[in-house]
Amino acid sequence: MAGEVVVVGAGPAGLATAACLRARGVPFVVLERASAVASSWRNHYERLHLHTVKRHSALPMAPFPDEAPRYPSRDEVVAYLDAYARRFEIAPRFGELVRRIRPGEVETAARTYPARAVVVCTGYNRVPHVPAWPGELGGPVVHSSAYRNGAPYKGKRVLVVGSGNSGAEIALDLWEHGAQPTLSIRGPVHVVPREVFGIPAQITSLYLFSRLPPRVADRVSLFTLNRAVGDLSRWGIERPALGPVSQVLEKKRIPLIDVGTIDLVRQGKIAVAKDVAGFAPDEVRFVDGTARPFDAVVLATGYRTGLPDLVEGVDFDARGLPPRFGEEVARGLSFVGFRNPLTGQLRDIAAEAERVAAHIAGG
Amino acid sequence: MAELDHWHPVLLSRELGARPAAVRLCGRELVVFRTGTGVGALSDVCPHRGMRLSEGRVEDGRVVCPYHGWRWAADGRGESPGTATAKPCAEAFDAVERDGAVWVKRAGADAAFPALDVGGWSLVGRLRRRAQAPLEVVLDNFIEVEHTPSMHALLGYPLERMGEVRCEVTATDTTVRVYNEGPQKPLPRALNPLFQLRAGDLFVDDWTVRFSPVHAVYEQYWLDPDTRARRPNALRIGVFFVPVSAQETDVVTLAYSLKSPWARLGLNGLLLGLTRAFLAMEIDRDVALVGRLADKSPALKGRSLGRFDKALVLARKRLEAIYRG
Repeated sequence: MAGEVVVVGAGPAGLATAACLRARGVPFVVLERASAVASSWRNHYERLHLHTVKRHSALPMAPFPDEAPRYPSRDEVVAYLDAYARRFEIAPRFGELVRRIRPGEVETAARTYPARAVVVCTGYNRVPHVPAWPGELGGPVVHSSAYRNGAPYKGKRVLVVGSGNSGAEIALDLWEHGAQPTLSIRGPVHVVPREVFGIPAQITSLYLFSRLPPRVADRVSLFTLNRAVGDLSRWGIERPALGPVSQVLEKKRIPLIDVGTIDLVRQGKIAVAKDVAGFAPDEVRFVDGTARPFDAVVLATGYRTGLPDLVEGVDFDARGLPPRFGEEVARGLSFVGFRNPLTGQLRDIAAEAERVAAHIAGG
Repeated sequence: MAELDHWHPVLLSRELGARPAAVRLCGRELVVFRTGTGVGALSDVCPHRGMRLSEGRVEDGRVVCPYHGWRWAADGRGESPGTATAKPCAEAFDAVERDGAVWVKRAGADAAFPALDVGGWSLVGRLRRRAQAPLEVVLDNFIEVEHTPSMHALLGYPLERMGEVRCEVTATDTTVRVYNEGPQKPLPRALNPLFQLRAGDLFVDDWTVRFSPVHAVYEQYWLDPDTRARRPNALRIGVFFVPVSAQETDVVTLAYSLKSPWARLGLNGLLLGLTRAFLAMEIDRDVALVGRLADKSPALKGRSLGRFDKALVLARKRLEAIYRG
């Protein structure tokens, strides 16, 4: 097939794929819409750290530096990715906004690249997801992608919407900055501390839960969580009927990895509310019929991949995910970095990038 | 903001049991107690007839006055066993338990919490020591390295080579940062392999002082003198200066290591234990020394100052503006 190998995106997945191609002597071009590598990571909120240990979060052929802590911070991840790009001499074409991807070609705002292989690495976090609710709040309502730190919210009553990791950590960050946060959690969720009795949750998933039958793994993890976290229902956090491991496998819902939020919920510093029903000028109404006054709202309601609008010739599921990861889905077309398993996304990216690069080099 | 408006670590968690504890902060007497799900802090005087609540007990998360049995919740709301209609109110403070310490500030003050960013670091130890000196005088001891040859055994520089120690002071509106780099004070030879150091290594002591509350966070690590590569060991130590009264200051130290105690097949556990012992010894000596100063006046005017004292002057201005401002 004619054309180049085109890698779309210069985040962790794009850089890992490019490095693996470089190692196999395959020429490639990386297209990146921003003006630097790792642009999503650069724009995440400041407090963010990896939830996975650095040893199992490195990209192929380059461990995290010795002086990085067990859970590298946002800045340390960005520095690592910058160094990674330099080390493998990856020079993306910046400012190249990809409009359309078809098997065999990639169309940007400026030109069309004929491609013998396309690796889509546009990331899990491409399009901020903002749900619609009736009514409007008088104060600011921002998506978590625009949240940097809690300083502007000092002394304010802030509602954080979302039961994922970023919602919980943003509520914690707001409290640390002197705001009065409330976390709106939609439905039951499992809460797993980043470390249980000194052992990282990722390590437990990697060496225990991914090797046990799901029902046994559920039992073991619930036994541990009962002791480490306990019943949180009196603070408004309900546990799902399914165990934590089955929840991931069957419902694709990962547990909330806690980095300190729950401790403050228990101490009454962070309030918990139900799902949002609507806004009024000076208050937010919840599905249980209650209403509370707020000065601002942060929507940690997640992202969408935006793939169905970008890629032709692939059957995406309802959540915008391709049918297979880390292997060819259509003629010369593969996806890296669209899974979020319990064992860590970066670890998954490293494995997928190797597989895809090997396939392209061999094919 | 005034002093009481900032978060202060008034006790270590392990110092607070089931009974209420009396603490002093900025000359105020407080009672601190466990509520079952958190901690509470009230003015240590029963609004009813003036008894010390710290001499009482805790029941159902409320502190009970030993005199007439009035009960007080963490938010200050009280209840009289004999006068059901009474709605008395005690002076409450905001209290939280974090990082192994109990922190207190004036109720409703919107100060930021001094988070240390040590997720994934391993605890070396937590210490609380009382110095018989005003806050500024104690702070001064902790933000210059010129005293380390005489007072410190591990974290310091040798006196005869003090002239070689680099000391760079930079400041922003809210911080004072001091970067010191120089030859590590020689350790007993047998300790070098345990600390993963070699004779002649450079010791970096890089700290930032912030003023809401007054505290310094130290980044301490060692460099190969030729390649400037970092040695594996690194420490992050938060030191908080808590004004007990105008003449007494608590020094609360929260120390963490980059490496876990089970690294090197558990040998690091020994390293962390030894580091804790060194740290406690150095802080004990520092604290005892500032208590023996002939002149404990915080004023710097009229003193003869050296090149290591620049940070003291910068810290004074920010302390007045931010901590007391």
